Amino acid sequence: MAAYIFRRLLWTVVLLLVITAVIFLIFYVLPSGDPAKLRAGRTPSPETIAAIREQLGLDRSLPAQYWDYIKNLVWHFDFGTSYTNNQSVKSLVFDRLPNTIFLVLGAAVIWFVSGVVIGIVSATRRGTLWDRVLMGGALIAISAPVYWLGLVSLYLFSDDIGVWHVFPGAGSYQDAHGFLAKAHTLILPWLVLAAAFAAIYARLLRSNLLETMSEDYIRTARSKGLSERRVVLRLGVRSAITPVVTVLGLDIGILMGGAILTETVFNIDGVGRLAFDAIQRGDLSTIQGTTLVLAFAVAMMSLLVDILYAFLDPRVRY
Amino acid sequence: MAQPLLEVKDLKVHFETEDGLVQAVDGISYSVDRGQALGIVGESGSGKSVSSMTVMGLTRAGNAKISGSITFDGKDLLNANASEMRNVRGSEIAMIFQDPLSSLHPFYKIGDQLIEAHRSHNDVSKAKARDRAVEMLGLVGIPDPRRRIDGYPHEFSGGMRQRVMIAMALINDPKLLIADEPTTALDVTVQAQILTLIQKLQSELDTAVVMITHDLGVVAEVTEEIAVMYAGRIVEYGKVDTIFSAPEHPYTWGLLKSIPRLDTPRDQELVPIYGRPPSLINKPSGCSFHPRCPYVREAHKKVDPGLEPTGSADAGHKVACLLPGETRRSLWAALRAGETPDAAIEEVPIPETTLSPSAEGHTGEEVTGP
Amino acid sequence: MPRSVLRFVLAGALAVLAFAVVACGGDDNNGSSSSSSTTKATSSSDVGTDNTKAANVEGKKGGKITMLAGSDVDFLDPGHSYYTQGYMVVYPTQRTLYSFKPQDSVKPVPDLAASDPEISADKKTVTVKIRPGVKFSPPVNRAVTSKDVKYAFERFFSVNVGGQYPAFFSSIEGAPAEPTKGVKPISGIETPDDQTIVFHLKEAAGVPVAAALVMPVSAPVPEDYAKKFDAKNPSTYNTHVVATGPYMVKNDADGNTVGYKAGKSIDLVRNPNWDASTDYRPAYLDEVEMRTNASDANVASEQVLSGTHMLFDANPPANIIKKVATEIKDQYVQVPSGGYRYFPMTTTIKPFDNVNVRRAVLAGFDRNAARLARGGKFTADLPTHFLPPDFPGFEEAGGYDGPGFDFLSKKNEQGDPALAAEYMKKAGYPSGKYTGNEEFLMVSANVDPNKAQAEVAKAQFEKLGFKFRLRLVPQDAVYNDWCQVPEKKVAVCGGAGWFKDFVDPQSMLEPVFAGYTIPKSGLNNNMAQLRDPKVDAAMKKAALLDGPERLKAWGEIDKMITNDAPAVPFVWDKTTLLRSKDVNGVANGYTTTWDFSFTSLK
Repeated sequence: MAAYIFRRLLWTVVLLLVITAVIFLIFYVLPSGDPAKLRAGRTPSPETIAAIREQLGLDRSLPAQYWDYIKNLVWHFDFGTSYTNNQSVKSLVFDRLPNTIFLVLGAAVIWFVSGVVIGIVSATRRGTLWDRVLMGGALIAISAPVYWLGLVSLYLFSDDIGVWHVFPGAGSYQDAHGFLAKAHTLILPWLVLAAAFAAIYARLLRSNLLETMSEDYIRTARSKGLSERRVVLRLGVRSAITPVVTVLGLDIGILMGGAILTETVFNIDGVGRLAFDAIQRGDLSTIQGTTLVLAFAVAMMSLLVDILYAFLDPRVRY
Repeated sequence: MAQPLLEVKDLKVHFETEDGLVQAVDGISYSVDRGQALGIVGESGSGKSVSSMTVMGLTRAGNAKISGSITFDGKDLLNANASEMRNVRGSEIAMIFQDPLSSLHPFYKIGDQLIEAHRSHNDVSKAKARDRAVEMLGLVGIPDPRRRIDGYPHEFSGGMRQRVMIAMALINDPKLLIADEPTTALDVTVQAQILTLIQKLQSELDTAVVMITHDLGVVAEVTEEIAVMYAGRIVEYGKVDTIFSAPEHPYTWGLLKSIPRLDTPRDQELVPIYGRPPSLINKPSGCSFHPRCPYVREAHKKVDPGLEPTGSADAGHKVACLLPGETRRSLWAALRAGETPDAAIEEVPIPETTLSPSAEGHTGEEVTGP
Repeated sequence: MPRSVLRFVLAGALAVLAFAVVACGGDDNNGSSSSSSTTKATSSSDVGTDNTKAANVEGKKGGKITMLAGSDVDFLDPGHSYYTQGYMVVYPTQRTLYSFKPQDSVKPVPDLAASDPEISADKKTVTVKIRPGVKFSPPVNRAVTSKDVKYAFERFFSVNVGGQYPAFFSSIEGAPAEPTKGVKPISGIETPDDQTIVFHLKEAAGVPVAAALVMPVSAPVPEDYAKKFDAKNPSTYNTHVVATGPYMVKNDADGNTVGYKAGKSIDLVRNPNWDASTDYRPAYLDEVEMRTNASDANVASEQVLSGTHMLFDANPPANIIKKVATEIKDQYVQVPSGGYRYFPMTTTIKPFDNVNVRRAVLAGFDRNAARLARGGKFTADLPTHFLPPDFPGFEEAGGYDGPGFDFLSKKNEQGDPALAAEYMKKAGYPSGKYTGNEEFLMVSANVDPNKAQAEVAKAQFEKLGFKFRLRLVPQDAVYNDWCQVPEKKVAVCGGAGWFKDFVDPQSMLEPVFAGYTIPKSGLNNNMAQLRDPKVDAAMKKAALLDGPERLKAWGEIDKMITNDAPAVPFVWDKTTLLRSKDVNGVANGYTTTWDFSFTSLK
């Protein structure tokens, strides 16, 4: 196991190196991405650009520049400087990362728990009104665009522009101080972000559980005289939930840079927003930085999932 | 005569499906005495598994219609509520299944699964339950049970897994063990070991056994009586010796002729049963075996035979066949002599309209119990 | 207009021009709008939406406003900023030599300068007197001298600071042709005394250089303080900037701008060293908190409309513009974006070399449909010529009514097929339709609204019998790979835009329509490739004029160009700005956004 984890970590490092290389190349292949042009102002002569290239060290060979980039990244954890506002990308990213983690983990708890509960209820009452109502609701939640859902929830429940002033509205997150206050402002964003995922997880768990419940070992368990509750919750859900946990890990990883719409609608400073704004402004250093963080998050989560899997499923051995 | 341990009377289990009504079990009756062993033999789809699952109360679903009666140790199982049923399951009636790998939960240690089975019916500590589990594993022949108890199912061989299943089934000293094709998934040498084990435990623990199988050879070794099922009905019932030496149903003949036996001459061909098991939704009219029966007459397609005593030395021997008793015995004699069914037909005249007592007093609704 | 600039620069379409303005065909979400400063545009008199009235209100002193900004500033450094959001902070915190009052976006007023610039007779020297009594904010705390302005220009040309519009000042003697490594002195800028700065020019460019002294670069920068920051590359003065205006970005004793959190917020507080007696700004507010991350326009709009003490600076979504314009009829101001969007027709490709064919196109063009693709009548006016509303020369060119050509009349919003047919007949197509069989190329960006507007344009040409193929390409390729490359034979560019940098009509017309600006090779801003000798001659003459004659001359040139019909102008954008009910919001027509120095709480 330890050897496996070590091997996987090593692979993750290699993967991240490849990703940095790809991102780095894109940085240079994109015609609009030339930082010298960004620095040169509006109507630079080719000489101007050449001069800036030299000053920024952009005239050296690609490998040399890449080496510099990696050196800064590894030694100083330095992601470079944003050319659109002269800020250190590292500080931009790490300023926002906690917000995104808070948002995503909170939502993940909500969607995982509610998805699993709904999935179990639906599967054990298959074909009943309960099942139909829950699965119908899930379909709506999946189809509802996050952006729309966010707007509607704000128009209905936010304490500034809502019909009913129930929850803190957009932008309140940054004003809140302390864990509980921040958590309070995140209630709406959590629910909105979690809605579609909860629905997907509910459907996933329902179909997994239905499949599991027809397994022979469930029949065995019943023939042992176990209560149906125990059969479903201990034996059925245990099997049905394992693949869902895998998906959960990856979803959390992806959302580290992908909760853009929720972050936007609720005005939460997150990594997704940062990346999105950077893309809009062509701020490639920041795009690089956020992409790296995202890649790192996904790689780590997939490693975590694989390790977790070995604990969940004893047949898996590394 | 004492009350039998398990008495099933006119049990019908029908399932409503989108395709129509599945008459999985269509009026069967049998009984098992304490410490006794009954074999239920039939092809897949004959209703043999469904009937025993119904005994366990595991076919209760929204779309199932169950009628008749199941009396176990004086208790009415069909009308027992869910928790009463649960107290019976695994405690008084235990069950083992065909595929021991898929029948064990892959994520839990076998010890945990045994302990769980024990503790769900006995208010004992974990440690005690564990001791019991080790004891049972030892009893079923798992070497080094103290260590192996912490293994996962995938770490055991097929035969060992079935031993674990048997240990789990017997951990609460059940009065009845239902073994549903316990050896089918195992290879031949292991099959014999498992059967020997079941036999040994049955006699040692005085557990009644219902052995469900498609293989007459399996029941021959373990059970005293055999019920042959076809299309949801019992078509022949009798002592093992009777069924093997003087079977009277053409389907039983087919089963016997389709298995290799040590006592059959080497040059004798195995004769398979032609055709496929009937649909349980649209059963054939009359005798449901008629489409596959080599000795069929027009009248057989109209009259539904009932299970009637054959009048042989085995008082319990019954058969549901419209062929007159004399004809049946002559046909079996010819077959037994090594002739093919075609040759037997040449030799034995089969009357066109004369029917056995199975045809009388039987409307297809009632079945006379043994 | 700076805001589009950034995007354009990123796209890499960089043209070298004396008065580079920007071909911003971009999908910038800025519209702009019309009731306004000098011009009584559309409605008027409605206090709630009339910016001039709002600006003339004697405001209540004190209070704090929260500004929901659609995006962050580019830079706080006046030498580097070149973007609307940046300007919104630069102008209330810095005193440029000249600046614009919200009531008048045509004529700049002296700000740090004590009086109008003196331009020598040969137009080769510009002299500016500097107002005494202006002081830098803490931690510098000293009086501003002309040397601080000189240093501001010198650092602007360094690669460390990266001034973004050096071409405006390239005629200054000794101005570096390319960015300098570190700040280098410029010989052509003299400071004979602390209150005087003299710009010596290589050519007779006094008028445009003087006009460009409204740019943020003319705000003073204290060399003694800024030197250590400017020595770094890039300069860190951006996060240590000191103020001269009524407000300053909150900072600490070392000058760190702690009030600036990139991508999050900017806290503007009063500059304790600002002396009201030296300034025309009333500066009512005590504090402005800019939330620079209110990126969802729907939510931010609703928050501002239903909240208190708030402003919103980005164009709201169309449904909200409609709501404020037709239901609330208050809580918004519209300012012209200072530019025009147009479909250039390449006059070197037959039959678009025929002026009557081009006029026929204009006459038959459903410009309202094209405007709808960009948001409709609440977000833009239909042009009747090129110079946009509230821009110098706009009135001289005919104002909203236009010069009076029937093919581009105010009334003809949806196209007049009969008139178009008439012009086609004049052009030699008796059927009133084009009869040629060739396929013409139109190129547009592959995203809306540009794509939608190009599709409208294609349909309009096809109404007249032209066969067009619409080629959709990525945004940044539209100009540098297609429309600005004559060899590509693009007959019609599916949407171009030209926006102001500072207010001078020459900058709005010369780069786009002067035949002499077409380069032998390289990117060409004159996409229509119009070469009208009369227009060219008039431009050369008008370039040297000053004062009212200048406006008159360029107004006339606008009329001449319109008569040449080299392009279909289809919108004059407006920017819509929202405010809370209790805010007397004042917009500045120059920056096309809120002016914190005039805004007050009710």
